[in-house]
Amino acid sequence: MASNAFTPLREWLAQVQQVAINFAEPLSFAHPLVILPLNILGFWLALKIYRRAGTPILHPVVGGSLLVFAGLLLMNVDFAGYQRGSGLLYLLLGPAVVALAIPLKQNLTMVRRVGWPLILGLAVGAILAPLVAVLIAMLLNGSAAVLIALTTKSVTTPVALALTEQMNGIQSLAAGVVAFTGVVGAVCGPALLKLLGITDERVTGFALGVNAHAIGTVRALEISALCGAFSALAMGLCGALTALLLPVLISA
Amino acid sequence: MSFLRALPRWLLGAGLLLAFDLTGRVLVAALSLPLPGPVLGMLLLLIAMMLYGRVPRGLGLVGEQILRLLVLIFLPATVGIYFLRDLSGGDWIALIVAMVVGTLISIALTALLLNHLIRRSGRDGEGGNDGE
Repeated sequence: MASNAFTPLREWLAQVQQVAINFAEPLSFAHPLVILPLNILGFWLALKIYRRAGTPILHPVVGGSLLVFAGLLLMNVDFAGYQRGSGLLYLLLGPAVVALAIPLKQNLTMVRRVGWPLILGLAVGAILAPLVAVLIAMLLNGSAAVLIALTTKSVTTPVALALTEQMNGIQSLAAGVVAFTGVVGAVCGPALLKLLGITDERVTGFALGVNAHAIGTVRALEISALCGAFSALAMGLCGALTALLLPVLISA
Repeated sequence: MSFLRALPRWLLGAGLLLAFDLTGRVLVAALSLPLPGPVLGMLLLLIAMMLYGRVPRGLGLVGEQILRLLVLIFLPATVGIYFLRDLSGGDWIALIVAMVVGTLISIALTALLLNHLIRRSGRDGEGGNDGE
């Protein structure tokens, strides 16, 4: 029992060790000292482009991953080599999930003010988002891999990755689905809601956060601070709720 | 110089994030809970901060930076989508239709529901029991 409980610690230490070993390897295009700057450069450039263009289609998730992919093709590095080179970033995923507690804490007073409609809306929204997508994919005969990837489509990437790992899904597919969903929600969401006659910025922000996570939250922040706060809040709560419910539903 | 003085605070913040991450993982393994370790860590940190009453300054600083770099941190996982080869054409169509149509439907439904609920509770709050 006790030895079981500490396997995560041992796994974590082994991961740290592996990152150190990768750094000690002879220099090549797949070396962390090449891959990490490539990641940072891709992210930084994508952020610059995004800020200048100002359209959610070019969100750094999209632009950054395309730039990095182009770099990998140029240097002829395969995905396994790229993943090894990016080991340091994988180590930060866990702490990044934990850090999501901070905006949650800061926005907690707002949940109290709106009260139960928010909680009910959250519960329904968190279940609806994956359910609708999975049903559509089932109607179109999607494979099991596709269905699993869709279950985490509306939660923020670090949480989606942690969940996919647990369900033995394809992490890259899940990450791609999350990014694409976010872009669709951020690009079309606000216009769609205006069409439906919804003018309450709290509602818009909340719907974006539940369905389009971080990318939706960036878009919500452009609308107003209030909209952004509700989006950040909904994103955090939805991630936590999905993480609690999904493994139970899948195993059932 | 100001950076050096802030350093302990930064280290404390980063240490807290890592400690809650690892605590979450250990607890999940020990109690065989059906959720990811870091998510339990996040919930524990939320509870701890609610008890503490505010966000510790170092934690706020580190957290802000990490959240700003979130896209960079999960870039490696995102790039993997371009390396996927084992999905059929039909799978891609199902995936894309489900994402586009599904997302629009669920955004609309979530917003309409919340809009309705907020209005209703607003009316209730003003003391109007209109027998709905």
